Amino acid sequence: MRTTNLIQSYVNGNPVTQQYNADKAVKDFDIHKELNNRTFIKPLPSNGKLVRNSLFDIPSEIRKDWIYDFKSFKHALKGEANDHELGRLNDVGMKLGGLAIAAYLFTKKQTPMTKLFEFVGLGTFFAAMDLWPKLFIQLPAYLVHGVNVRQEYEDSFGRKKMFYQDHQFIPWDLYSEQEINNIGDSLNVPKNIPNRREFIQEKMRKIALQNNTLWMLTAGFATPLMSALMCNALEGPAAKMLNKFKSQKADALMSDFSSEIKKYSFEKQQKQFEDLLKANAGKPITPELYEAIKSQMTNGLDYMVADALKKDLAIKIPAGNSFKLSQESVDSIQGALKAALSSVQMSDEEFAKIMPDGDAISNALSNKNLLNGDYSDFSEHSKVIQSLLEEKIEQFIQANPDSKLGKKLKFALQQFIHSGEVGVDSSMFKMFKQVPSTVLTPELIESLKEVSSAFNVLKSEQIVLDKYSHMKAALAPETSLADSWNEITEKIFKQMNFTPEEIKKGRVDVEVAGEVFRNKIESIVADKTAYENLIEVVEKCLSELHGKMAAIDMTQDASNNLYKSHVISSFDGAADVLRRLGFNYSVDSLVGFGDNAATSAKALMLEFIEERKLGVKSSFYRLLNTLDVFYRIGHAQGIDGALTPQMLREVKEECAELAKTIMLGAHSSDYAVKFWQLRNPSPHQGDYSQIEVKDGKVVNRYFGTHQSGELVEFANDRNYFEAVMKLMNDGDIHPATRAKIKDSAFLSDFEHYRRQVLEVLGCDEYFVKPNHKVDGKTVWSTSLERFLLTGSAGDEMAYKYFNQTFNSKKWFSMFGKLGAGLVGVTLLAQFFFGRMKKPEAKSKEVK
Amino acid sequence: MILPISEFSSKNLTFGDNKKDENNVDYTKDTLLKNNFSTRTRIGLDKFTKAFTVYPARGLKGSINSNFYEFLTMGTVPYVIGSVMLMSIFNSANKHFSAFAQSKASKLGNKMAMGVILYALFKEISKSFTNIPVRLATGIDTELPYAKVNYLLQENPDSTSDLTSIEYHKVGESVDFPRWDQLYGDPKKGEAANFRYDKIAKKNGLGDNLNDSDQEVKPIYKEVLVKSKLAKSFSSFMWAATGVALAFQKPWENYFRVATLKFWNGKEFLHSLRVLGESFVESAKELYKGSPESFSKLERHSGKIMIGSALLITVLGVLNTLHITHKPQKNNADKIMDRNKESVVD
Repeated sequence: MRTTNLIQSYVNGNPVTQQYNADKAVKDFDIHKELNNRTFIKPLPSNGKLVRNSLFDIPSEIRKDWIYDFKSFKHALKGEANDHELGRLNDVGMKLGGLAIAAYLFTKKQTPMTKLFEFVGLGTFFAAMDLWPKLFIQLPAYLVHGVNVRQEYEDSFGRKKMFYQDHQFIPWDLYSEQEINNIGDSLNVPKNIPNRREFIQEKMRKIALQNNTLWMLTAGFATPLMSALMCNALEGPAAKMLNKFKSQKADALMSDFSSEIKKYSFEKQQKQFEDLLKANAGKPITPELYEAIKSQMTNGLDYMVADALKKDLAIKIPAGNSFKLSQESVDSIQGALKAALSSVQMSDEEFAKIMPDGDAISNALSNKNLLNGDYSDFSEHSKVIQSLLEEKIEQFIQANPDSKLGKKLKFALQQFIHSGEVGVDSSMFKMFKQVPSTVLTPELIESLKEVSSAFNVLKSEQIVLDKYSHMKAALAPETSLADSWNEITEKIFKQMNFTPEEIKKGRVDVEVAGEVFRNKIESIVADKTAYENLIEVVEKCLSELHGKMAAIDMTQDASNNLYKSHVISSFDGAADVLRRLGFNYSVDSLVGFGDNAATSAKALMLEFIEERKLGVKSSFYRLLNTLDVFYRIGHAQGIDGALTPQMLREVKEECAELAKTIMLGAHSSDYAVKFWQLRNPSPHQGDYSQIEVKDGKVVNRYFGTHQSGELVEFANDRNYFEAVMKLMNDGDIHPATRAKIKDSAFLSDFEHYRRQVLEVLGCDEYFVKPNHKVDGKTVWSTSLERFLLTGSAGDEMAYKYFNQTFNSKKWFSMFGKLGAGLVGVTLLAQFFFGRMKKPEAKSKEVK
Repeated sequence: MILPISEFSSKNLTFGDNKKDENNVDYTKDTLLKNNFSTRTRIGLDKFTKAFTVYPARGLKGSINSNFYEFLTMGTVPYVIGSVMLMSIFNSANKHFSAFAQSKASKLGNKMAMGVILYALFKEISKSFTNIPVRLATGIDTELPYAKVNYLLQENPDSTSDLTSIEYHKVGESVDFPRWDQLYGDPKKGEAANFRYDKIAKKNGLGDNLNDSDQEVKPIYKEVLVKSKLAKSFSSFMWAATGVALAFQKPWENYFRVATLKFWNGKEFLHSLRVLGESFVESAKELYKGSPESFSKLERHSGKIMIGSALLITVLGVLNTLHITHKPQKNNADKIMDRNKESVVD
């Protein structure tokens, strides 16, 4: 058999057909010339090419890769994939595994931020794996040597591979002569050396190999580190983005209220309830049916409202109060009697003698007019049946004088008619109370349906409202209020510019943190510019907070507050229906009545947010007030109203000291008990001068000079507490502070806060020193109100800040140094790579 | 004379009898090895050591003998360093924190460290979930190792070093080019040429005494290789993820409180091991049942979903591997050609 091949067809065939057979033949291809040159027989030209993608090609490349991976998967499923495809699928598996980890941990985390960061962590890890070699190996190598050490190429089958993947198989032919020469120039390879291309290629290979090895050695350090640093860097922007998103999502709940409540429809439960009513329409309301109605109607309601509804139901459905006596219930008495007498050993004949005849019981009851009616008391019925049975038993004893059954029968009869337990019906009474006289009438059904529907609508509305209030103000780290808190504390404390030493010292303990914080404030108030800058930041933060809180300000009119208006319309709407149907206990529990309105479910919906908001606001107002008090004391200005000329200098100093201590560290409980302090029981007399200050601090003339080992309080110094309270919260704030906040929307609110603190905390009814109250007045308040007004203590805020800052700085200093070192070594290494002995230039003689 | 590291033959850095075959002689040619625990450990240690010593040294020097095998083997380096680094990132700074922050950070850090360990452990162990059933059902060992004798180039004209190195590969490492030659028997040892292929053919129902069992088996072998690799690629990472999920269960905190590696403190160490076992069991239960503190349905069932997915992917992967479609048809030749009919070939 004769075979032909490509070469023979070229040699023997017609030139025209030769052209036809060769798809990519060069136009002026001369086979004879090629054969004479002896260069013809060589591998077919490669269809591979170097991958030269720009940033703009990334989306299309990703798409191509996805399609390739999908096809690879199909091939692998059939068992037909190749090594390259399987390699890519391994990467896909790794990413899927990573996603599975993130997805699982997502379900374990509680807050949106921590949930989000499971995926951010995964993303940054894979990004770091990719970016480290690109940014710190490929780029520096290119800048230093002009060689792309991570060059990719597409082979003849379209498979993307690393050019320097296998150093014993590098497809050099993909680089043109020109390209290699250009790279050679960048590598400073002399122009006229023998085998210049080979030398350049070897140098390129060497640089690439060294860099690949460097990549393997550094990636383990770099990837987790870079990923962690990226996560840290992304935390701020992600939190901001998430806060905005959450806030928008919460606002959308209120603006799309009517569509949102449809997502939590209780139609199914309503239908079930209606089916229950329908199935029992016209039937007596048995205890079981009553329980079913009650449980379905109160299901999902809060305890307070459910309790009220139960009371209403007890009135509307008087089940268990009266019963009908039918022939069936009379008949069943015979059966019950037989069971009761079963303990007495007697024959059926004997039993028949005792048992009244068929209609005997009915007739006896009927004769007494005790059969056809509604009865709630069965004592008369009991007497009739008792006499009937006793008569029969007597007859039996007379007929059988020798029988010993008489006493037993009488005993069993007593047990049947009378219960041995108080409040429990006897067996006979149970028979009488079988058919309640209250019936599920069509009117009652309609009324119950309407009430249930009103509650079901309210439940849907309440879910959406609760969701909103939770997202905005709940005591949880993922709320808008918590976000604002974190943001503001971070900004204010950052502005105070604590040194690393101060942070390190302050993180140890709240007491120490308070001391560091106090010293810092005193140093700031000593410098007017620094103080003004700080107040400016505080003003900005609080203005922002004030703006954000406007949406949850329950003191506003309902027309300006969507949440409030939805709460009112939802609760009032349900209450209207219930009021019309006479469910008055439920109405009271929902919207309150008179003085009880504050404890209604509606009021609680509003109060919850207001309280949370007040707690946060008070904390920051207290901080602002602290700065102002320190400034006034630090400059001995605006304090004369409290530290009057009639006050001894030593007491003034003690007073100023206590004011600072309270501002920085007092809790609401400290107001309730005596403020114990290191005081002198016999202050220096005769000196009524004002306190002296220097560098923001009080220069004490007397305070601290008295030897005192323990804290004391003087019951007879009744003006002392008042003076301290007034020093902190009475009178005007300092002009330096006012100048910075005079145009702020929160100014009047802040002033109101100071007044509130002075009155509520200063005049508290339960203050342990009743004669020491401010201006001798008494103000009633709850402990919660006082707690919310006190807000968070400055030293505790500082302590938390110091701890968090120290921890993150410590982490950064440890791993930042390691990262910097790693980058340094990686970059420096480039200058040691690619070193080769240069060959000697061609001599002219050789030429 | 101390040789420069580039000329240091990797053959000098070996474990036990690595460079010798079963008869305790140097490998002079590519040699098939038994796939048992001892061989796997030897190979693992050999590759691990070289990945941290000889191969990086050769790579940094830019040696002409550095090849793709060495590059791939060096892949262990970032895995190991990365794992230690990950543990360190979440734990090293904790000791400087205040007691409360330290206790909170350490709980997370310890779980993260346990996650890293269980990731690696589950990933490796889970490969057996595919390998063993495939080997039992088809007789094909997809992980069969062989020692490859690699001939090196002389680094410089004065080099006096040994010019061979030993690499450890697997017969089925490349599905494009499986090392079929390694599966043939050695007549010098009295082995029939196709004895391994015969076994596989018999196991897969191709019959006994085949004239060319190797040709019949190769397509099956290749199909099993591809499909099992696919199965392992997906299932091993899913099991690794399950390992991480397991590490994040609360009962591990009991172990972290008593954990010690000081084996010389016998009592404490044994107690720590006992708690380790208990914590593992309790954590596995909690992963399946969900934490008692969990309040969302998803959180309660996510562990079941995780384990179920890993299990499902493994079972599907194995079933797909065992579903062999490339079996040669029986009596193939008779169907194609009538042996009684005369034919002339030009």
